[in-house]
Parts: sequence; structure tokens; C-alpha cells
Amino acid sequence: MKKVPQQIIPLAIIFIVAIAALVTARHFFVPETFGDYGHYRAASVDEIASQEVVYAGSIICNDCHDDIYETKMNFDHRGVSCEVCHGPAMAHTEEPDEYTPRIPRIRNQCTICHGYNSARPSGFPQVVEEVHNPGRPCLECHNPHKPLLPRAPQACDACHREIALQKAVSHHTSLECKTCHDAPPDHMSNPRFARAQKPTSRALCGKCHDTEADVSRGIPRIKLATHNENYLCWDCHYPHHPEAR
Amino acid sequence: METILANAVEAIAGATGYIYPNEFELHWGILIVVYPYLTGLVAGAFILASLERVFKVSALIPVYRLSLLTALSFLLIAPLPLLAHLGRPERALEMFLTPHTKSAMAMFGFVYVWYLMVVLLLELWFDYRQDIINWARKSTGLKKYFYYALSLGSTSTSDEALAFDAKAGRFITLIGIPSAFLLHGYVGFIFGSVKANPWWSSVLMPIVFLFSAIVSGIALMVLIYMVTTMFRWKRINMDCLNKLGLFLIVAMIVDFSLELLDFIQRLYESEESINILSSMISNRLFISLIISQIIIGSIAPMAALVMARFRKVPDEMKRMLYFIAAILIQVGIFSTRWNVVLGGQLFSKSLRGLTTYKLEMFGLEGLFVSIVLLIMPFVILFVLVKILPPWEGGHHEPMRLAPAESKK
Repeated sequence: MKKVPQQIIPLAIIFIVAIAALVTARHFFVPETFGDYGHYRAASVDEIASQEVVYAGSIICNDCHDDIYETKMNFDHRGVSCEVCHGPAMAHTEEPDEYTPRIPRIRNQCTICHGYNSARPSGFPQVVEEVHNPGRPCLECHNPHKPLLPRAPQACDACHREIALQKAVSHHTSLECKTCHDAPPDHMSNPRFARAQKPTSRALCGKCHDTEADVSRGIPRIKLATHNENYLCWDCHYPHHPEAR
Repeated sequence: METILANAVEAIAGATGYIYPNEFELHWGILIVVYPYLTGLVAGAFILASLERVFKVSALIPVYRLSLLTALSFLLIAPLPLLAHLGRPERALEMFLTPHTKSAMAMFGFVYVWYLMVVLLLELWFDYRQDIINWARKSTGLKKYFYYALSLGSTSTSDEALAFDAKAGRFITLIGIPSAFLLHGYVGFIFGSVKANPWWSSVLMPIVFLFSAIVSGIALMVLIYMVTTMFRWKRINMDCLNKLGLFLIVAMIVDFSLELLDFIQRLYESEESINILSSMISNRLFISLIISQIIIGSIAPMAALVMARFRKVPDEMKRMLYFIAAILIQVGIFSTRWNVVLGGQLFSKSLRGLTTYKLEMFGLEGLFVSIVLLIMPFVILFVLVKILPPWEGGHHEPMRLAPAESKK
């Protein structure tokens, strides 16, 4: 029989000890229920389940506040759980008189969703908090259970709401639609035939954006005569868009 | 809440275009840049050592052991940036206790241990064993016992034992080459597997990582060899340096060609991400990619290496060119890691916006921690070189045995 080289013996001992240490460590440190369901400790599920419940869920609110719940389910906040705005309400369901959920009166509660952010879908109702009725609580004009505009949609935004919402947070928010668009009188009653017109000349934008224009100096300027003269401005710059450059 | 809002406002100010709210802040910062850079140096240094051992490139003998020690010292520090980045670093050990075979990141712990225990340490031990025994015999006091402990009690220096050392060393190197590929290829594999990220999702990623690792490892050995030789008041072996230069230029050409191929393919494919990627390259990454990685880190050192290797220039000039090229390569490869890791997080998944990365100075994820992590391997290397001097003995020039030697 061939002799085992001398070097192998200490190395073998070290590797056997290392593997034995790992196996022993596994025995002591791997939780008993590890791997029962997947690559995690099964007992953690029960531990998490046994934690104190603080959120009650919307459905239980319906038991006492069915009128409000009904209203909310018929409008755009139907998908927003009651506790998103009112905070965790489990304690309130158990001791209604002891704990009352908060009513959000601060503005930055609503702006979590409705503050302007360029990443939100186009047409999502957004406001620039600093310029939108500064200092006044949202609840003063808006009912979150029935989130309709405080006024009925007027002329254009009745049909073009998405554009109106987008324009409301754009640089052109202060301009009326008719500044740029000509709509024939019967456009409202027969929109498919009496079409409103989009600007057909560069001069219209040039009134404010040409280097020669006699308006506030804060408005971006361009030398219209030499700037891509074969195109209309809105071929590249979408005027309703908040990020329009 | 105010702090979160203040941070968000600051982050939003650094972003341009259309970016999702959860993309303002980068989660993988400079520590995750340092990590692939370190593992790259490990793999590169080891592959260089393998060239001498497996392919019998005898010109590289002077750097063989130095390369192994360098690989070891960098490997010991390699996981630290990852651990520093974790919120609960002690949990990293759980991947050894409960191996998750379907997770590349979890299995890396085993790749690391395999490479450290079965490849590097074993190869060093077999290579140094004869010398360790001799040092033990020559030394006195604690040092003697220390070296005996290092020999693990295996004190035979018979011809059969030495032959077995050489055979085992060669065998381990053979295993070591794919292991080194695995060690660093895996890092590229992790990035390349992120399907949702057009900057990373490329099958070339592991290959590019591997070749850039070889480039950075060889360049590091050029630097370490030149500096250590200078401090030892010895003459630099020009055959060895020229051979290093040759391998370096070959590896660089392959690496640069692969990266160029990746770039051209992306350009030709022109997927919907191409606009934001080109915008990112021309704005956010212009300095680190175009200037630092390509011009300073690739073209300039390649030109210097070609000049040193293939033009008739005096040795003094060659040494200077090699040294400058090696430093520039380190800058270039670090930029490569920077551009891959950070570049993939600078653009929005909407493909319509870019965010920015603000490098912290202090703190666990800051510049100073990274600098310390980059210096530590050299400290370890200094200690290792003191314990196991790489310029004495070795498998290629057996030391004369100490008088107390008794043949078994």
C-alpha cells in the first residue's frame, strides 16, 4: 500500500475540524423550524402573527361609518384605505370613545400623493404646494371622501381634464386655453366637427419666447428666426407638460 | 419627517428629467465600487502567479510568490467593504449555516472560502513549506515555534515530500485558475444578471470584469515588484518586467476590445435605453468614463506600454513608462468599477431622468473608510512579506538545507 504523504495528515485534520465545526455550528445555530416552508425560519411567521395589531383594515370602519364608507367607495379615493389618512385605528375599533383617529389637517399629508412630482402619471391631480392657496388646509375646499374639484369643471377642462390637470402644474398654468387655441362657438356641442385649432404659427409662441418679445425677462427666450425654423414649436416642446423645456 | 423631506428636496434638486421617487438615492455607493476593485486585484495577481506555475513562464519567477502574497492580502480585505455596507454585518455568517443554493450572492461566501482555504492558503503552504521548515530550524525562541506552527508539524524535507509539494502546488494552481475566474467572474455575473438594468444586463459583463481584473492585477504586481525591489536596494529584473509588460498589454488589448465590442453592440442595438445611457455618459459619467477610464486609464497606458515594450528605449525609460502605465491602469480600472456600479443607478427606470451620487467624506459609506480599506491590504502584505519573505528560496531554486536537516 502506498504511504500517505506526510503533508496530507495535518491538512486533513484542519479540514475535518473546519467541516466538523460548521456541522456543529449548524446544529446549534440553525433554528429548529428553519426550512419548513422555505428558506426562512417558520416560527417567525407565528411571531409576526402574534405581534400587536395596530391597523384594523377598512372593512371594519364600515360597521359604524357606513355612510362615509359608502360615499368614499363611489369616488376616486375608493382605493385608499381609511387608515392611510386617519392612521392606525385598531385601538379605536376596540375602545371607540377612548381613542379617536386623527383627522389630517396639515397640508403635507395630502401632498404625499398630490404634491407635484414629475414621476407621477400625466393627468394625475397634482398641485404645487407653495403656490396652491398657501397656508390653507386642504379640507377647507376639498372633501377627501368625495374628492371632487371645489368648482364644477368649466369650459375646456370638462372634457380635457387630463390636459387641464397637467397644465395646472406647468409653466403655462396662468395662461388661458384660448391664449393658444381657437375654438369655434359650436365646438362644445359638436366637438368632432367643429374642431379646436392648435397653433399653426411659430409667431404665437414668439410673442413671449422670442428674444425680441417685450415680456418679463424671466421667460426663456430663443432667437426664433434661426431656431429650427422648419418646425412648429410644439413639435418639440409640449406646452402643457410641467417638464417642458 | 422634516429630515426625510429635507433630504428628498436636496435629492430632487440633483435629479434631472423624469425619475421615480425611489430612485433619487443611490444604495450602492463607493464601498460597492471598492469591492469588485479589490477582488479584481486578487484574481489578477493569482492568474499572474499561475502563468509562472502552470505555463512555466520562467521570466516571472521573481514575482511568483509576491503575487500569491498580494492575492492573499487583498483577499482578506475584499469582503470588508461588503460587510461595512450591510446594516447587520453579523448576519453575513448565516449564509454559511444555511446555504441558499439558488442565490448567487449567498453562494459567494462559499466561493470565497473555497478560494481562500483550498486555493490560496494551500498553494502558499505547499510552496513555502520547505522554506518554513528551514526558517524554523535557523530561528530561535518564539520565532522558531511560530514557524513550526506554520509548518503544521509536517517537517519532512525528503525528496519524495518535496516532489509531492511541487505536484500538489501545480495541481492546486490548475484548480486555482478556474477558481480565480469564478471569484471575479461572479461579480460580473451578479451585475450582468440584473435584467431590468440596461447598463448592467449584458452577457459580456463577467468576461469584461475578468479581463479588467487580470489587467489590474498584473499592473498592481508591476507596481509592487518595482517598489519592493527599490526598497530592497536590488536591481529590477528587466526580463521579468518586460514579460509583465507583455502580458499587461495583451490583457489590456483584449479588455479594451471587449468593452468596445460591448459599447458598439449597445449602440448598434439602440434599444430604448440608448438615449438615456448616452445622456448619462455625456453628462454624469463624462469625467469618470471618457476621461478617466478610456483616455487616462486605457489609451494612455496602452501607448506607454507599447512604447516601452516594442520601441528601442533605454531600460531606465522603460521602467518609468511601466511604472506610469501601471499607476494609470489602476486609476482606469477603479474608474471602470465606479462607472459600472454607479452608472447603473444614475438613470431612472423610466429611461427619462438622471439622478446624482454625492460621495460622503466620513461615515461608514464614505471616502475615508474606502481609502482605509484600500490601504489595509498593503499593511497586511507588509506583514506577510516579513513573515514569509518571497525573495528567498521557492520551488524554483531550492534553498540549501540547514545543517540540522535529517533526511527521512
